[in-house]
Amino acid sequence: MTLLEISGLSLAIRGTPILRDVSLDVAPGQIVAITGESGSGKSMTALSVMQLLPDGAETTGTIVLDGTDLMTLSEGEMCDRRGNDIGMVFQEPMTALNPVQTIGAQVAETILIHGAAGRAEASQRARAVLDRVGLEAFPLDRYPHELSGGQRQRVVIAMAIALRPKLLIADEPTTALDVTTQAQILDLLRGLVDDFGMGMLMITHDLAVVADMADRIVVMKDGEVVEQGETQALLHGMTHPYTRMLFEASDHVVDLPEASEGAPMLRVDEVIRDYPTPRPHLFAPHGRFRAVDGVSFIMNAGDRLGLVGESGCGKSTLTRAILGLEQIQGGRIELDGQPVFTGKRPNLAVRRKMNVVFQDPYGSFNPRHRVARLVAEPLHLLDNPPSGADRARAVADVLEAVHLRPSDADKYIHEFSGGQRQRIAIARALINRPELVVLDEAVSALDVSVRARILDLLVDLCGQFSLSFLFISHDLSVVRRITDRVLVMQAGKIVEEGETEAVFTAPQHPYTRALIAAAPVLPKIEALRA
Amino acid sequence: MRWNRNLVLGAVLTGLFVVGALISFVWTPSDHTVLDIAGKLKRPGDGNLLGTDHFGRDILTMIMVGARTSIAVALVAVGIGMLAGVPLGLTAAARHGGWLDEVIMRGNDLIFAFPSLVIAILITAVFGASAVNAIIAIGIFNIPVFARLTRSGALSLWGREFIMAARVAGKGAARISAEHILPNIANLLIVQGTIQFSLGILAEAGLSYVGLGAQPPTPSWGRMLADAQTLVSIAPHLALIPGLAIILTVLGLNLMGDGLRDLLDPRLRERSV
Amino acid sequence: MFRYALRRLSSLIISLAVASLVIFLVVEVAPGDPASYMLGINAQPDTVAALRAELGLDVPRYQRYFDWVSGLMRLDFGTSYTYRTPVAEMISDRMRVSLPLAVYALTLSTLIAFPAGIYAASRRGKAGDTAVIGLSQLGVAVPNFWFAMMMVLVFAINLRWFSAGGFPGWEKGFWGGMKALTLPAISLALPQAAILARVMRSSLLDMLDEDFMRTARAKGLSRRHALWKHGVRNALIPVLTILGLQFSFLLAGGIIIEQVFFLPGLGRLVFQSISQRDLIVVESVVMLLVFAVICVNFLVDLAYAAVDPRLRTRT
Repeated sequence: MTLLEISGLSLAIRGTPILRDVSLDVAPGQIVAITGESGSGKSMTALSVMQLLPDGAETTGTIVLDGTDLMTLSEGEMCDRRGNDIGMVFQEPMTALNPVQTIGAQVAETILIHGAAGRAEASQRARAVLDRVGLEAFPLDRYPHELSGGQRQRVVIAMAIALRPKLLIADEPTTALDVTTQAQILDLLRGLVDDFGMGMLMITHDLAVVADMADRIVVMKDGEVVEQGETQALLHGMTHPYTRMLFEASDHVVDLPEASEGAPMLRVDEVIRDYPTPRPHLFAPHGRFRAVDGVSFIMNAGDRLGLVGESGCGKSTLTRAILGLEQIQGGRIELDGQPVFTGKRPNLAVRRKMNVVFQDPYGSFNPRHRVARLVAEPLHLLDNPPSGADRARAVADVLEAVHLRPSDADKYIHEFSGGQRQRIAIARALINRPELVVLDEAVSALDVSVRARILDLLVDLCGQFSLSFLFISHDLSVVRRITDRVLVMQAGKIVEEGETEAVFTAPQHPYTRALIAAAPVLPKIEALRA
Repeated sequence: MRWNRNLVLGAVLTGLFVVGALISFVWTPSDHTVLDIAGKLKRPGDGNLLGTDHFGRDILTMIMVGARTSIAVALVAVGIGMLAGVPLGLTAAARHGGWLDEVIMRGNDLIFAFPSLVIAILITAVFGASAVNAIIAIGIFNIPVFARLTRSGALSLWGREFIMAARVAGKGAARISAEHILPNIANLLIVQGTIQFSLGILAEAGLSYVGLGAQPPTPSWGRMLADAQTLVSIAPHLALIPGLAIILTVLGLNLMGDGLRDLLDPRLRERSV
Repeated sequence: MFRYALRRLSSLIISLAVASLVIFLVVEVAPGDPASYMLGINAQPDTVAALRAELGLDVPRYQRYFDWVSGLMRLDFGTSYTYRTPVAEMISDRMRVSLPLAVYALTLSTLIAFPAGIYAASRRGKAGDTAVIGLSQLGVAVPNFWFAMMMVLVFAINLRWFSAGGFPGWEKGFWGGMKALTLPAISLALPQAAILARVMRSSLLDMLDEDFMRTARAKGLSRRHALWKHGVRNALIPVLTILGLQFSFLLAGGIIIEQVFFLPGLGRLVFQSISQRDLIVVESVVMLLVFAVICVNFLVDLAYAAVDPRLRTRT
């Protein structure tokens, strides 16, 4: 018996084809995961089921839910189904809730809008649903801004399941969340599916989550289903090369060259970084939030050091302090014995010895400058920056080092894909031949296949430039593959430090253990084959 | 392509008056300083294309010469607003959260408490009425408009990673503001500039209507309307024509602003839901 | 909430203090001495000196500033140089026309703009939306005093529904007063309504892009329902800012409109005083207008907090 049956679904938006002939089934109590890289059309498939597509969308095919073809329903009839028969959970919990309405009112609205209960009863039922999703401690009159991201996602789930829909659609429900929160939300979703016997259509790019959660897997690429099947069968079979490529890229093993034993280079000593918080009352002094609390570590030349932690742990603040972008309130940060901050100004002599690659390949470049100017920007730090042909050669050299063409220097940044942009960001970071490159979530925004190639590039550069890097990430699996040593940060403090493999195989601190336990693990392909 | 239509229509309307004003420097249908009481209050088409006023002056000439006053006052006022407001906004954004930011923003709020007409009244009461004082009054009021816009545009950029990259490359706040921030908010400023230009034309007309703007014999659209007021029942064209001139110019500038906004805004994405 | 209000209040007081200083200084640098101006060129020096003493002009500047400000706080605005009557009395007479006019116009403007903006946003891209955009585009371009003249031409001179100007006074009855203010209020309100409707529309359309609107639709709310229940209140936040600004435009715009309709309001008082160099009156009226604008901005800040719970907890 099937609950949802999509067959021959094709979608075009203003003439541009988005989906081609998508067919898949969801049975009651079953979790079906659609996975694929960005642009595969997985989210559009979900929105087609909800009939919440952008303006100008034209669809063909059938989407049968419980015997009714949703494509034939009028908008009014569809409104009756949404929230009642189908619930949906979105990716971004921080913006998915109305900021000016209480969480109680927003959950009760699902019940009220479908006339399932009167005001008083709806409010009682909202309470019960919020209890069910683990928000027992939160009164109904709280506003979204008073809740954390994970808690808000629970509210969104509560709204979606308040009327016990037959089908729950979850579009990247944990992508914006920390790994420990992700584990809790996934547990909650699985529990709800079991309790209510709902079917769940889950959209995610994270294959580890897919392998962990799904009963069935649907792999999509460029708007088409390339392979689908029962989870175990699919993982063991992987008949389509794209599926195999995806899984291999997700667990891409790099061949990190042997680390050279270098002299101490970066010395971080008892660093404290405070932020002022609003005054508790009008005449009181500002409060203080200690984002980095007495952090010390030493990085040797040639080190590939990882820094992991969840959002808000202070790793970004520490990064900015190391780069000399912000002043610290205590301790010292030195590179080659020179402080990164002297007096009130950043020390330019030190700064030219390091550079950074940021997360967002789209926000990292001034859209109005050509690549040559973008890449050459750090040359500004040199006492005698090269000009003319020398400068062009320097730019061409680094572009070639990151496997781009020297002629790319004349293009604008919008002509490049996300992966290519990240290569350009790396080229920019390398142009001064820095001793230290800080990689701040540098591969986190990339699709797995692109990410694998960037990791290969980093390994390649380690050989070419005898690179030392500080690799900051929330993604434990990547840090495990690309670093020799790792620091684990929690609430502004380094709670564990050691050889990467040692830390991952035998974590000492309870927080490290919790992190590693929470991270979903991709089954090893070799193991599946065996 | 809707922006095209707005932009073209707006540019044509605005261009019409700008060209008229420019032509008036070398040629006008007649001399607006010569009074001809015998030929007063002629209807449009009766010898004069747009008729004559109560002193027998050709209205087309008055409109053309009056366009000079309106455009010059509004343009200089926008210039004052931009020249002072944009650097203030950039500074406030670069010093976000600091005392300088606070002082600049409080100063802006304070100017906002004096609408341009109130500033004009104050200035006129003290120094007398003139076109220059009208420019100052409108110009001062434009400063916080541009300062706020610049600050908010700049602030959203300061959080972006390419600014961080520039800071890592050792560039200071002034250089980053000039090299990275200003070019990326220029669109916003141009669009706001056309809007403030149109508001300036309206404000100038209002000020000269109540006698706080350009003084006789300099013709201005606002004073033409003031002169027409008592004659509106006998000669409605005296009020209609300068009014239409103001409306068409302002409409043209606003359409141009809308067109430019659509043309320059890279975020022309489709709205869903 | 209380702390937020207190913070806003303290910034209001600072703004008022600075504004009063600015106004005082600008008037101080005015060329010419009011006493000699009032007495004419042929006045005897000792008569002028006596008048200066009477007007309180013989004390040091800082002393006069503090006298003026402390007077303002006691609602004692000084004595008119020309009429020798208390300025407070003159102003309160005129306020009985100007304030009702501004409130009347603001009410009209809001009543027209909100439905028009919401209607246009809910019919985005359709004929109704295009009509509202077109009308507001035109409304923004029309100078209110010209619009007022046209209304006089049509409704007073041709149709004779209203009188062309003047004000009978509230003593003659409330409705008579309201009738006299109707044309002025409409001509003030319509151009402002055009601006407000545009802001309301675009602010609502911005809301349509928000994630929480999609969430609402996923719950089963229709497009229109989602717009009303989730869009409007969020869209009010930018609209409130414009509404606050409009009040100051209406007060100032009223000064011009009063000229068109010969209304005995603050505007006419100001222009008379300017031509008679009765600077103390000008100074007081300007201070009053600025005071009103600053107070309205304070109220807008409080209204923000009422609309947006995030402001209530954030200090």
